[in-house]
Amino acid sequence: MVELARLIRAREVSPVEVVQAHLDRIASLDGTLRSYITVMSDSALPAAKAAEAAATSGETLGPLHGVPVGLKDLYCTKGVKTTGGSRILSDWAPPEDATVVSRLAGAGAVVLGKLNMHEFAYGPEGVNPHYGSPRNPWDAVTHRICGGSSSGSGAAVAAGLCPGALGSDTGGSIRIPASLCGISGLKPTYGRVSRAGVLPLAWSFDHVGPMCRTAADCALMLGAMAGYDPRDPTTSVLPVPDYLAALTGTVKGLRIGVLRPFFMESAAAAQRRAVEQAVKTLEGLGASVHEVNLDTVELAAGASSAVIAAEAYAYHEAWIKKRPQEYGADVRERLRAGAFVSGADYVNGQRARVLMRNEVDAVLARLDVLAAPTTPISATPVDAGEVEIGGEKQPVRPTLIRFTRPFNATGHPAASIPCGFTAEGLPIGLQIVGRPFDEATVLRVADAYQRATDWHARRPPLSG
Amino acid sequence: MEPPLTIDTLRTLATLRGLELTDEELAGLLPVVQAGRSMAESLRGALAGDVEPASQYRIM
Repeated sequence: MVELARLIRAREVSPVEVVQAHLDRIASLDGTLRSYITVMSDSALPAAKAAEAAATSGETLGPLHGVPVGLKDLYCTKGVKTTGGSRILSDWAPPEDATVVSRLAGAGAVVLGKLNMHEFAYGPEGVNPHYGSPRNPWDAVTHRICGGSSSGSGAAVAAGLCPGALGSDTGGSIRIPASLCGISGLKPTYGRVSRAGVLPLAWSFDHVGPMCRTAADCALMLGAMAGYDPRDPTTSVLPVPDYLAALTGTVKGLRIGVLRPFFMESAAAAQRRAVEQAVKTLEGLGASVHEVNLDTVELAAGASSAVIAAEAYAYHEAWIKKRPQEYGADVRERLRAGAFVSGADYVNGQRARVLMRNEVDAVLARLDVLAAPTTPISATPVDAGEVEIGGEKQPVRPTLIRFTRPFNATGHPAASIPCGFTAEGLPIGLQIVGRPFDEATVLRVADAYQRATDWHARRPPLSG
Repeated sequence: MEPPLTIDTLRTLATLRGLELTDEELAGLLPVVQAGRSMAESLRGALAGDVEPASQYRIM
């Protein structure tokens, strides 16, 4: 995106050609990949023409002038169907844009369409019974999950069906598909990016963020989206730094904490090897590496379970009572379970979050970032209920979110970037966690790593 | 220790909450609700002390 924006600014490429090329690629590949729910050719091409006309007259619309993006289909788009990946909202066209959609458009971005997802964002596999389950582009033979819930965003960016996309992350839904699809994704600090006009899963856990090929692209998108929004009272008034300027290319002197207990120790062997190697690479670039343990991380499952289930049920209560058969079976059952969370259990979940947040804050008072695998496993076949790690069978769903959800509970910024591949050729993600509102350092570490490696530059074996 | 949940008690609770569920749906839901209750119980055990909830979350 950074390079594309530069080429458009320099008038070396035309926004119309760029948008048309992406629409052609979507037409060619997305019948198989199922990454889009709605392709917005009718508005994308006129927007690209307007961007081209502005460029011709020497006007700059913003840092994303003429650059195409995709939106997970839970971002409200004025007059354009916003389904949440569900039949419940299959014909709903919102009356106004989400704040981040307006901000991206204001920065000159051209929206290509609305991306597939796990229904109402309530699942880390990213499957969808209503619009077809997106296919992981890294395996042309076996239908594997993309990870979710932002599965369409992960597949579309990996397959080159958009250079950048919006995801959302309640338990890992940006970072998990970024890890499984071999792209870069950032869950910013809670309060850094507005959630206004974004269909909620759980208000106090939901985060909005970019999914792109590189950390630099994520920095470009984040800069266009972040900042206080009167429509979302949880957004921060802290100023938005220049994230691209923060990418110095060096990690010299930074202190990196490696999360071994709970994280490295329960990951599959390929993930452990790749992340250990990534940490060595960062050490070789001048960072110092330290061992870290988070005692309260074991509370994450209980806290997330109670709070997310109760908040999701509160949002869906009327629909789940009146129109239960319109939900997919898995999401219907998860939502109904939320009816049985007591008020005390919900509050205890929120109390546990304070303990977790305080511990991560304390660790990050002496370190700059934390590093861990993003997911313990790589993309599984779409119908796999279990996966084997170290000879032990584990259920796929809780395994996928094990390393990511702690940082939804604490609200710290966390990125996933590619750091290797399994023997089967499936991507592996490195998770980098930073201090509250210090996305700049997270992105700086990710970018420095990407300048020294080429995992992010590899492309899935697709024809088209 | 809370008493174990059964299909019948879950049916009663569901009805009180306005959910009409078939026996098959109740059977599928029971282990999910039971797992949530177990996690909530383990959380209670870990939360000794004076910890306030994060009801207003990190506004700066």
